[in-house]
Amino acid sequence: MPSVTENPAPPATSQADRPARWLRSILSNQQFFLIVALIILIAYFTSRDSVFLSSSEIAVLLTNFASLILLAVGETFVIVSGGIDLSVGATCGVAGVVAAFAMRGMVNGHDSEALVLLVGTLICAAIGAGVGLLNAALMNWARLVPFVATLATLGAGTGVALVLSNGVPIGSDSSALAAGAAHIGPFPYIFLVVMAIVVIAWLYLHLSGYGRYTFAVGSNPFAARAAGINVRRHLTSVYVLSGLLAGLTGMVFYIRLGSGAPSSGDGFELIAIASVVIGGVSLFGGSGRLTGTILGALILTVVTSGLLISNVSPNWNQVAVAICIAAAASLQVLRPASRRQS
Amino acid sequence: MGFQHSMRSAGARRGLALLAGASIAVLAGCSSSSSSPAASSSTATGAAASKSITVAFNMGAEADPFFIAMNIGAEAEAKALGVKLIWQGDPSVYSPSTQIPIVDQLLAGHPSALIIAPTDPSALQSAVNQALGQGIPVVNVDTHVNDLSKVLSFITGNNQQGGAAAADAMAKAMNYTSGKTYQVVVGASSATTTTNTARLAGFKAEVAAKYPGITIVSEAYSQSEPAVANTNVNNWLTKYPNLKGIFAIDGTNATGAAAALQARGLVGKIALVGYDAYSTNVALLQKHVFAALIAQQPEMEGKLAVQYVVDYLKSGKSMAGITHLLTLPNIVLTPTTSASVLTQYTYPNA
Repeated sequence: MPSVTENPAPPATSQADRPARWLRSILSNQQFFLIVALIILIAYFTSRDSVFLSSSEIAVLLTNFASLILLAVGETFVIVSGGIDLSVGATCGVAGVVAAFAMRGMVNGHDSEALVLLVGTLICAAIGAGVGLLNAALMNWARLVPFVATLATLGAGTGVALVLSNGVPIGSDSSALAAGAAHIGPFPYIFLVVMAIVVIAWLYLHLSGYGRYTFAVGSNPFAARAAGINVRRHLTSVYVLSGLLAGLTGMVFYIRLGSGAPSSGDGFELIAIASVVIGGVSLFGGSGRLTGTILGALILTVVTSGLLISNVSPNWNQVAVAICIAAAASLQVLRPASRRQS
Repeated sequence: MGFQHSMRSAGARRGLALLAGASIAVLAGCSSSSSSPAASSSTATGAAASKSITVAFNMGAEADPFFIAMNIGAEAEAKALGVKLIWQGDPSVYSPSTQIPIVDQLLAGHPSALIIAPTDPSALQSAVNQALGQGIPVVNVDTHVNDLSKVLSFITGNNQQGGAAAADAMAKAMNYTSGKTYQVVVGASSATTTTNTARLAGFKAEVAAKYPGITIVSEAYSQSEPAVANTNVNNWLTKYPNLKGIFAIDGTNATGAAAALQARGLVGKIALVGYDAYSTNVALLQKHVFAALIAQQPEMEGKLAVQYVVDYLKSGKSMAGITHLLTLPNIVLTPTTSASVLTQYTYPNA
């Protein structure tokens, strides 16, 4: 049960106190810190090698970002609703592999590339949504908690992807690769399409009733039900949404790699969750902002790309990600008690 | 609440300061430990290098001892020639889905040359084509892409011969006598990587020609993960109680298979032939866990790859002294091989 908001009794206002409180309210804004951190990181990596800010490098960075952000957005909805979705990486792989089979048939039949990509996207979305429904079914009927249900789907999805593909990437679609590489200035088209989806998701989460219900369910499911929200149905839709976005990410990987690789999403669920945590979304549910997740995903992408550009040994990557998570999580401690979930 | 309140003020500030300090230390450590002789490249051999040359070297499973040895050879050559080497690859995953984003990133930095060990011959073809389109010379090491016509050079060990030599070593270790049947299995990393396919083809051809009593009852893939290889071998040991031989087609499979045999106490009862002279596996060879190890020369491959691209660039794109398809011989190491030869061909660690 959430704590009763404790309003700290205003201390006797002395000269020393006032600047501290003002400073504290700025510092307690997670996103301020994230933006500052982002600027510092970009400046640091550019100083290591100025190619970091070149147009081609930015294009690669934004493509990496596009591969991650949809997963992070789906994860945000799920975490805000009070749950967690560990299956998104595997859903990517399964959706990509199944769609790749269909697309390979179409490419061999010389269908137009636009049609091929459209069909592929629809198949990926459908499979992703299907996995989401499976997650919801496990939670509603088998009464599994989200962690366990999505863990099961993670294993099943990874396995199915390997079985179907025999472990090898499916298809060899050079026109898809061309579509993946196409860009306008430093912005790849794939990044622009993905950002359009992210904007729609933001509108949903923060400006619509759907988003408000999600926050309500995450912060107090009992009160939400008492207020007339069909919690089961809402949670089902949240997991379907997360699965759908994961399926679409499978399509992003296909366009990026020119083939459906069963292992394309491996480990990405943890990076997606890391983005959400860095973004300041509470893992207990009920609070957070999507812009935080976007900044978190951007920071992780900048760090991993920057380490590569600076020619740091790749073994440091995971340490760097861990430091980002720890630093972001410890910032939560600076928030006043009223803003923290306990 | 009171406890949390005080936690926020004192302990939290200390914790944050510690974290900030740690981050700065790590970032500083990264700067000094990263392999970037950028400072040396501009000052050393100023006469020969009028424009600084950057060689991007990309592979999968970067922490594999085979590639670590290759790195040592490449770094030494880069230092000697005064060029900058960018060595990047996913540390543990050998797969195009992790390799392609990295090679894209490397090409976006416009290196002077690209040396790549592709994890899949068709998946990496477009990255190679892109580099060639940018006018960047490309060398393939260890594995190759489908179309080598415009690639400057392809340097590898003799995989076909390696597979055949493995078959010979296994037959000898099993005391092969014609008329008897022997069940053997093959542990590989990938069904499409060119090294694996060539070694398997060489093994099968030698078996068909000289050892018709040997039957390959199963092949399994481990994606270069020793733990997966270990599981595969354990499953085989359960399923085939009469198993006589295991061909571990690369170093990670060799590691996983050796561990499984030792755990089950089957050392000496099953002829295990491995590939790649990891120092850990050479030690096991001396204990007769392995019947034989087929050693390649990764340090030499790395050295030659860097040497070829730099020669090509510095000589104004002349092919003099560059072999298009270079196959280095393998060395078969057995428990009776002399210590000095073992030391010479064991892959260096760091």
